[in-house]
Amino acid sequence: MAFEKRPGDRNGEIFMPIIEVAGLTKQFRTKVKETGLKGSFRSLIMPEYLTVKAVENIGFQVEQGEILAFMGPNGAGKSTTIKMLTGILYPTAGKIQVLGLNPTRNRRQLAFRIGTVFGQKSQLWFHLPPQDSFRLLAGIYEIPDREFRMRVDYLVDLFDIWDLMRIPVRKLSLGQRVRCEIAASLLHKPEVIFLDEPTIGLDIVVKQKIRDLILLMNREERTTIFLTSHDVGDIEQLCRRAIIINHGAVVLNESVKNLKYNYLNYKIIAVKYSRPVSIQIPGIVKLKEKEYETAAISGESMEYAAKIAVDTKKQNLQHVVNQLMGLGEVLDITISDQPLEEIITAIYTAAPEMNANVTES
Amino acid sequence: MSTAVNPNPKKPSVIVSHLRLLAAYFRFNLAAAMEYRGSFLLQVFGMALNNSAFIIFWAIVYSRINHIGEYGFREVMFIWALASAAFGFAHIIFGNIRQVSRIIMQGELDAYLLQPKDVCLNVLCSRTEVSAWGDLAYGLILFMAVWGFAPGEFLLFCTFTVFSGLLMGCIMFSGEILTFFLGNTTVISRLVTEFVISFTLYPESVFRGTVKWLIYSLIPAGFIVFVPLKIFKLFSWQALGLLILIDLGYVFGSYLLFRLGLRRYESGNLIVGKL
Repeated sequence: MAFEKRPGDRNGEIFMPIIEVAGLTKQFRTKVKETGLKGSFRSLIMPEYLTVKAVENIGFQVEQGEILAFMGPNGAGKSTTIKMLTGILYPTAGKIQVLGLNPTRNRRQLAFRIGTVFGQKSQLWFHLPPQDSFRLLAGIYEIPDREFRMRVDYLVDLFDIWDLMRIPVRKLSLGQRVRCEIAASLLHKPEVIFLDEPTIGLDIVVKQKIRDLILLMNREERTTIFLTSHDVGDIEQLCRRAIIINHGAVVLNESVKNLKYNYLNYKIIAVKYSRPVSIQIPGIVKLKEKEYETAAISGESMEYAAKIAVDTKKQNLQHVVNQLMGLGEVLDITISDQPLEEIITAIYTAAPEMNANVTES
Repeated sequence: MSTAVNPNPKKPSVIVSHLRLLAAYFRFNLAAAMEYRGSFLLQVFGMALNNSAFIIFWAIVYSRINHIGEYGFREVMFIWALASAAFGFAHIIFGNIRQVSRIIMQGELDAYLLQPKDVCLNVLCSRTEVSAWGDLAYGLILFMAVWGFAPGEFLLFCTFTVFSGLLMGCIMFSGEILTFFLGNTTVISRLVTEFVISFTLYPESVFRGTVKWLIYSLIPAGFIVFVPLKIFKLFSWQALGLLILIDLGYVFGSYLLFRLGLRRYESGNLIVGKL
């Protein structure tokens, strides 16, 4: 492996990369056939194959102790990348080093030092209670008995799963199961943990609990966390940096703070008037408007509310607000940022030209 | 910085750690099977009873004829007992043998690839086939019932059970891992299993020509039951050693095929759990 072991420099800070990826590419060969029985016969005699580029020439680094969001729409290549980083899939081309090891050649050594939680795949045995699965995992990870008991006590306490340890996994709720899954993945004290949509399908309270636990294990054990999620809440609350990939390529790689700052072109203004007005300001986008009756002291009257988006790169915000204030008696006005969710959606759905720009930034 | 548990200073050798894993899976799977006690007992005794029905069939055949080639009733019972015990042994230890094709297709190998153990052994041993206990018990009891209990002979039969079990298992396994190369090969895998079972249950003399060649090559029923019978009747250490070498050669071959196939593994995104 040709990576040089050298500290990196980001925003003036020195950091030691724990994951290094360069020129990573994965291609799959897929059989294609025309529809119907005729197509099936043709495919049987003269099969046609299509090469699908799931990941194409991506590169990034992850710092030790960092919580990184690895995002992208469905089919963008996130899971394929994680699977290559963890040694499940062989890359078609490119270089990977995780903790100084090549996942393809040193899969077993690497497995001792990383943990994984795939929201859609369980590592606990369905018919047995978590304590039995934990015991078997201790055997798989060669954890000495005494160390195992201390570690289980610590994790069971941390994840508050005392009462779940003796219940067969099939009888646990999804939230309870995910807590047990994460605890199981931490048994062998991994230095890096890959979380692939850990909060998928969870209710808001359990989601928050899982996020708190992720933060806690990052702080307490300085575990590096590589997180993929479609939940913007996960990204906002947990991650300092986000990498977005789409169509198998990295389209954005920067801090979540910068992501908000650089891509917050739009401000959302919600305004409420005491009577109906007509908002005709050039360059703004009217998202919503509504007239409604209210009971006032002087009898019934009509009020008017609207929500508009202002592109601050094209419009002066103060100018727009002044114009809005001049249209009538304003009962309420709020100015808010565009939700991160919308920014990410815009990046996902952006045209290729924009992607190119984004990559450059 | 957190410190990973491994590598630790007293780390056992790779072979010892894998043997320990095998033992751990064995205990674990037995416990999992006993979670459903009624089903466990029913499957074990049901399988033994099912196999016993064939003794009646062969008893009727041999009441009308004395021999089929060199095979009398006792010889046929020997190959039945060995085939059954070997099948049982293989499926107790390597309970996932006949699931491998499905596991590859549905991307379930991921879980095994993420663990610091040999994938091949890990995937094969992580499950047990409950009814296989019935096959093993049936094979051992049938052997003792027909050939009597002499410790030396019983020990030899047990040795055959282990190595024939390994051979039988690795042939079925090879049929399953064709999925890496050919896509959905469930039917071929089932066919291989059927062939292995069928060819080991009839006297060798019924197989001639191409089939005879087949039972000493691709579907090596000859090395699973026929050669052990010959060694059992006319023992020689050299013959036993050679047989074990041949068995291990097949095992090694199937392991290499698996490693080769693993490079072509494409994973998947099905929602799955460990049962």
